[in-house]
Amino acid sequence: MALGKIKADTLEHSTAGSLDTKFVVNGSAKAWVIGSAAAALGNSLNISSGTDDGTGTYHYDYTTALANSNFAGTVTSEVAGTIGSLDNGAHSKTTTNVFVAITNSSASAEDRSHSAKINGDLA
Amino acid sequence: MQTPEFQGTHLFDRLCWAKENLDGVQSDYRVVYEDSVDECAKILVPDPNWMACALQGGILPPVQVYWELAKDEAEEGFTKHTRGYLLHNTEPVEAMTEEQALEYLIMKDCPQHVWRDYDSGNKPKMVICRKEQLPATREWRNAWKISEELATDETVAA
Repeated sequence: MALGKIKADTLEHSTAGSLDTKFVVNGSAKAWVIGSAAAALGNSLNISSGTDDGTGTYHYDYTTALANSNFAGTVTSEVAGTIGSLDNGAHSKTTTNVFVAITNSSASAEDRSHSAKINGDLA
Repeated sequence: MQTPEFQGTHLFDRLCWAKENLDGVQSDYRVVYEDSVDECAKILVPDPNWMACALQGGILPPVQVYWELAKDEAEEGFTKHTRGYLLHNTEPVEAMTEEQALEYLIMKDCPQHVWRDYDSGNKPKMVICRKEQLPATREWRNAWKISEELATDETVAA
């Protein structure tokens, strides 16, 4: 492959100390998405599709799977007064997709644009 | 732009290359499917960056790779993928048309029981349509079903 590559286990700053690159590799998001109220994708990384599952419920499939389903996710609604969360109550975590739920202050599902970020291990 | 020789390169690295070098492609197509009779119709939307990869060629693995990983995950006692190398080492697929890319995406992201016999019942369980054919508003979204009388020039889910 013709891509440039720097191999390093440590990054060192002149005064601020050093950082093991495994923190960079393991700590960066492995997938993220900005989705509309109808699951249309505004921007993303490592997502193949969004699915509008119903009012306020969505799921996003990864292009490259995670190694295991023990991932951490952050979901936010992009509209004040509504809450975004991983929809783990209705769906088990898998290595291939993430379920998202948006609710209003009464805990009722509501269609809102949202964003999600997944940290985990890649397969 | 020429796709680099990617076989053996981690798929995530290829996606990063694509995001930097390819313009996203917004598809007008939507896939409407019914996963369960008890649930409303679901609407699948292709990701623009993924579609750009599909149209470019040389980036995505064959869809069968995803099926193999799904089989592994369905095994009792599954904890971690041990055949992730299939994603990275299998020869990537060539450039697809948008229609071929949609077929690939359906076979990757829709449940197999939906697309394998999508037209075996009284009405189709899955329909590919243009986004303009979906209902104009999301009112009663949780009651959307695939229309019993399909016509390609009319709204398909109502």
